[in-house]
Amino acid sequence: MAISEKPILILILISLAVVFSGAESDRVAELLSLQSRSKSGVIHLDDHSLSRFLTSTTTPRPYSILIFFDATQLHEKPELNLQGLRSEFGLLASSFISNNKDSPSASKLFFCDIEFKESQSSFAQFGITSLPHIRLVGPDVKSLKDSEQMEQGDISRMADSMSDFVESRTKLSVGPIERPPMFSKKQLGFFVAAFLVWAPFVVKKVLAGQTLLHDSKIWLGSAVFVYFFSVSGTMHNIIRKMPMFLADRNDPSKLIFFYQGSGMQLGAEGFAIGFLYTIVGLLLAFVTHVLVRVKNVTVQRVIMLFALFISFLAVKKVVSLDNWKTGYGIHAFWPSSWN
Amino acid sequence: MAASEDSNESKIRTVFGSVLSLFILILIGVLAFSIRLFSVIKYESVIHEFDPYFNYRVTQFLTKNGIYDFWNWFDDRTWYPLGRVIGGTVYPGLTLTAGSIWWLLNSLNIPLSVETVCVFTAPIFSANAAWATYLLTKEVKGTGAGLTAAALLAMVPSYISRSVAGSYDNEAVAIFALIFTFYLYIKTLNTGSLFYATLNAITYFYMVCSWGGYTFIINLIPMHVLLCIVTGRYSSRLYIAYAPLVVLGTLLAALVPVVGFNAVMTSEHFASFLVFIIIHVVALVYYIKGILSPKMFKVAVTLVVSVGLVVCCAVVAVLIALVASSPTKGWSGRSLSLLDPTYASKYIPIIASVSEHQPPTWPSYFMDINVLAFLVPAGIVACFLPLSDASSFVVLYIVTSVYFSGVMVRLMLVLAPAACILSGIALSEAFDVLTRSIKFQLPGLSENSQIDAGDTTSSSVVTQNDAAKTNKNEDTLKERPSRKTRKKEKEHVEKTSIKSQIKKRLLVLPLEASIAAIFLLVLLGAFYVVHCVWAAAEAYSAPSIVLTSHSHDGLHVFDDFREAYAWLRHNTEVDDKVASWWDYGYQTTAMANRTVIVDNNTWNNTHIATVGTAMSSPEKAAWEIFNSLDVKYVLVVFGGLVGYPSDDINKFLWMVRIGGGVFPHIREPDYLRDGQYRIDSQATPTMLNCLMYKLSYFRFVETDGKGFDRVRRTEIGKKYFKLTHFEEVFTTHHWMVRIYKLKPPKNRIRVKTKKSKSKASSTTSSKRSGKRKKNPWQ
Repeated sequence: MAISEKPILILILISLAVVFSGAESDRVAELLSLQSRSKSGVIHLDDHSLSRFLTSTTTPRPYSILIFFDATQLHEKPELNLQGLRSEFGLLASSFISNNKDSPSASKLFFCDIEFKESQSSFAQFGITSLPHIRLVGPDVKSLKDSEQMEQGDISRMADSMSDFVESRTKLSVGPIERPPMFSKKQLGFFVAAFLVWAPFVVKKVLAGQTLLHDSKIWLGSAVFVYFFSVSGTMHNIIRKMPMFLADRNDPSKLIFFYQGSGMQLGAEGFAIGFLYTIVGLLLAFVTHVLVRVKNVTVQRVIMLFALFISFLAVKKVVSLDNWKTGYGIHAFWPSSWN
Repeated sequence: MAASEDSNESKIRTVFGSVLSLFILILIGVLAFSIRLFSVIKYESVIHEFDPYFNYRVTQFLTKNGIYDFWNWFDDRTWYPLGRVIGGTVYPGLTLTAGSIWWLLNSLNIPLSVETVCVFTAPIFSANAAWATYLLTKEVKGTGAGLTAAALLAMVPSYISRSVAGSYDNEAVAIFALIFTFYLYIKTLNTGSLFYATLNAITYFYMVCSWGGYTFIINLIPMHVLLCIVTGRYSSRLYIAYAPLVVLGTLLAALVPVVGFNAVMTSEHFASFLVFIIIHVVALVYYIKGILSPKMFKVAVTLVVSVGLVVCCAVVAVLIALVASSPTKGWSGRSLSLLDPTYASKYIPIIASVSEHQPPTWPSYFMDINVLAFLVPAGIVACFLPLSDASSFVVLYIVTSVYFSGVMVRLMLVLAPAACILSGIALSEAFDVLTRSIKFQLPGLSENSQIDAGDTTSSSVVTQNDAAKTNKNEDTLKERPSRKTRKKEKEHVEKTSIKSQIKKRLLVLPLEASIAAIFLLVLLGAFYVVHCVWAAAEAYSAPSIVLTSHSHDGLHVFDDFREAYAWLRHNTEVDDKVASWWDYGYQTTAMANRTVIVDNNTWNNTHIATVGTAMSSPEKAAWEIFNSLDVKYVLVVFGGLVGYPSDDINKFLWMVRIGGGVFPHIREPDYLRDGQYRIDSQATPTMLNCLMYKLSYFRFVETDGKGFDRVRRTEIGKKYFKLTHFEEVFTTHHWMVRIYKLKPPKNRIRVKTKKSKSKASSTTSSKRSGKRKKNPWQ
């Protein structure tokens, strides 16, 4: 979200230059020019420009403004997802602009963002205490606090729901959201060209039977890896976006690697158990297929006892961890006379 | 002379081995069947849960009316007033199977009830699945591995969870069909016989009839074929295994009404067609290679490759165009969420919200496949040494299924057979090496006996270990003496035949370490048995229609559901309509034989939302909605008295959400106080006045004088109230099911007119008509 200083400077200069002109059409023209200067069509506001376009104007204004409240220092927090939302907001803005290019509604709605550090007083004017926050200041809104807030539900569903919100409140049509394609046309062309050049070589190699695919060690390695990847519950960690570990609430210096309760797991925990699951099988395979061929009996004996010991510990650890995590009391059904 | 004796001896040995295998297989079948009977022993012979009741009802219909009526069955007892086409929307495999078993038994003059047959279908098919596993693994790695794998599968918890007696659901027969299809594919691949290829297509048809999971087969087999081609393993056997399956299989699959043209129209099946084209191109290349000289062949290759590329590009372009023209790109939501695991959580909340579609954590693996999770990597390695067509298929099977199980916990069921097969292979190989090491290094044996033990010996040793494991530890003790005698026999045999054999270096491990390893492996197996028996007995055998609880004063049985359904059956008119939340739809139609508004086949969201709206509305509005649906009785499940947590009050927010999704005047925040769902005195007035609250807590205060809800652990908010539009007609013994009758409209008007004497009667009527407009049915 680092907007370079140059536009800000220009913005301030422009706002100074036109601050006394007062005419509303000037403001609209100015907003339009600011909008055309920014990349996605989102105008960066600060305390000063905010007062120029919103607070010091007379209602009804000829335009509404949709403001995205941003804070650079919170960008690291993944749960807020400010950067993602900001880029969605940018998409919304650029789609609106391109869909309403030559219609009068182009000057009815402007998309702006405000950064917390440089415009703290504006945040106070709006009375904003939490982020993410998007507000629509309609033409008739006098006090900024009366402006309408976009609800969490609308924000969370990305640009499409934001556009629904805008459309329902301003009666302007945003039109379809234009997302940039995953690959640009040039990239696609390059891929196709590369593939065409590469294909004959591949075909030749395949026919000769000398590709990596013919190496069974690679297949073996990847099969075991997929197994490890799955039994460690990595898919769960990806889908739920679980962290590798947590900080202990009672003692922040300590880290929690294992989470009690079977519905959830932490990243490191999954990998640790996945490793234990995999290592036992690999040791068993090693003993039955490789160690048998070793000629030295002492080496065989030492390695085998070592492997047995490790496997035993691994199984024991997994069993005890499972009992601890799930709380199941797994027991055998011995004859009652044995007790 | 000596040679003929040898051959005689070996013949006797193989015969003895196969008789023993047969005996072990029978025992495995008995084990697979009997471990699933805990639910019958601990509870009773009763159908479980929700979906099985529907399957049971369909089976009843089938046995009563025959196959043609079943095929054309339009069910008017459910989704009133819409009804539902049953014949064209169910997978008929399970029903037809149980129906045929019942028919067969009856024609043999064994008069079993349909319910009994349904209850025991799943255990019978588990035994079949164990045998199919034996066949499949035998094709891959020999008899020993096969028997071990079969024994493991007979009691793998993941499969037990779906196939205990009474769990009469599609998966019960589908897993057998899945394994058997794979077996026939491998068998065809190994033999190149068209007979097995045809059988394979027919079992595939059975699988398509049984379960939507057949798409796994029709994607896995093409993947394997492609893998074989890419790694240069193409053979005519591969062609015979694949081409008939695609052609016949697709034609047969299209015969199943619920699949129909999906078999050629959806993307799930496109992979098989693409590979079908590829295998023909490859077959052509091999054919041309065969008839041309090497030089000519090189010329031809360039020609064929260029033509082939053009054809492939054209086909791919057509496919892409076809796929891109459909909105979900031709894939159903569930399949998409397998490929892109984050898809469902982003776009399809209904799929994401179901608990069996959640991604599993590591304890799920330990719970469902237990120690097999440790053994599978060894099995994978064993399959690569050496890699054959069959073993590469098994590796592909485990890799894909383990990945899919990581995305959706439900697919653990598909992983379980693969895990059993690979663990069986791993255990068998390990026992092979270890027992060989012990056998040939035991003190007192002559040097001469140290030769390669040969397959039959090792595999039968493994089978014994395996049998010992299945019959738990006690049996090991019993079998030991017999094993020793047999071993002596064999050694004797070998001694006679050594001289003709080439002497090899003996591949053995140190004796004492081998003994320790065998001990640990047997211990691991014993742990597996203990875990499986525990899981079958404690975790997976509850029928959820009868509940039990252990407390300090003994066992309590809550049989309220059947009490309520029986009441409905005997005390209401045959054509009365009963409204309840959709969870209880299947049970109501099957057990009470009354028409329901919605049921567990959640195909019509609007209809469900209407019921949700009625439950979330105040009494009068709810009465109007229900009346417009001809509902006579409303059934609610209430756990507040006995502490049954999955009751309607706990599901209520879903009713509000689903109702609000269609009828916007129901808003979730109205039911929440500061974002919290509560039913005590802090609850919102909307909550305290909604129908669900009133029907659940009506007269509840009379039970203990305070109205303390034992599920929510709080006193309820509104204790004394009267019902104006509903009357209580039946409440079960533990108050778990409460049935209310809609008061007839005549009654209500009389009350109104009496009241309205004080007020202007015209206002009430206009109000009523105003309210009517809100009614979604007008």
